[in-house]
Amino acid sequence: MILDLHTHSIKSDDGRAKVQNYCQWIRTRDIPIDGFVLTEHRQFDFESDYSGLAETHGLVILKGSEVETEYGHVLVFGVTEPLYHAFDFTSIRLPLEEVIEHCNAHDAVAVPCHPGRPRVGMSAHLAEHGVPKGVRIVEIYNGGSRADEDAVAAQMAEELGYLGIGGSDSHIVSHIGRCATEFPVPVTTEAELVQALRAERFEPIPRQH
Amino acid sequence: MADSNVKTIADVEFGGELPNFVPDTSIEATRRFGKFVGWGTPRFTDHEGARKEGLPGAIVPGVMSQGFLGAMIHRWAPDAEIIAIDTVFRAPVQVDHPHTITGVVTDIDEDEGTVEIDITITNEAGETRVFGTATAKLPT
Repeated sequence: MILDLHTHSIKSDDGRAKVQNYCQWIRTRDIPIDGFVLTEHRQFDFESDYSGLAETHGLVILKGSEVETEYGHVLVFGVTEPLYHAFDFTSIRLPLEEVIEHCNAHDAVAVPCHPGRPRVGMSAHLAEHGVPKGVRIVEIYNGGSRADEDAVAAQMAEELGYLGIGGSDSHIVSHIGRCATEFPVPVTTEAELVQALRAERFEPIPRQH
Repeated sequence: MADSNVKTIADVEFGGELPNFVPDTSIEATRRFGKFVGWGTPRFTDHEGARKEGLPGAIVPGVMSQGFLGAMIHRWAPDAEIIAIDTVFRAPVQVDHPHTITGVVTDIDEDEGTVEIDITITNEAGETRVFGTATAKLPT
């Protein structure tokens, strides 16, 4: 089962894609993914119900978030009401280790994304802040990053013993599925996604198109 | 397959590609542009001056890149009325470096007669420098 773990819709301030058009694009272009996770910036979208779209197009549509820390941006999978109220998702300078602690306490997973990018990636902040505690997984393939940025991410993951995921970081329709993550088990809910990530059974898929 | 000769919204299909557009990113072009709009700043017109500002070389003004996007749309559909061009500048478009602009139709509103187009500017390494969307109204 292949999921794009990092996408944005028009719910994000810089997102330009409607979810229905993502679905239409995936099916029209035979993009080789089974679904995607909407990781809107600094928020969690409790309101939208994409179950009808998911059923119509035979896709899995899950929701997460992308928050901002002193180490750069971090994907959060398994967001619930209690986790949402545990810290301020809208903050642009959350302490990463606290985010990870809250995620661990609420059965969620925090994954630093595009860690090879300047400013918004984790590797750029290691010299200043040191290696953060609790990181287990980072995004090593990001569809919006340059090849050299992904190389920095992969090298950092290897040196620090992190596992890697892939996500397109799509903000427009035609960029979805550029990178993804393959799971050996079905992942159809946020809880199953967290379970699969915690089981450390997945493989990142580099840029495909 | 790139769509061309688009006259009305009926000629447009979801997922249809616009013909690729290769913009003129030469220093002569940015100097001409700077002269017409009254921008003489070295960051757009002089590689050495731009490097002194900490840039890798002269860069194409953002509004000039947006002009390229408009030109691409009008080559594809000459009668299109561009309602909006909404861009995210991920990295500078460098002067004297080859770039390619691609476009693809990702939404069609037949009631309104509008289409949404994903647009991406990539450099010779295939890196996305600018992406965004354009909304255009086509004759019905």
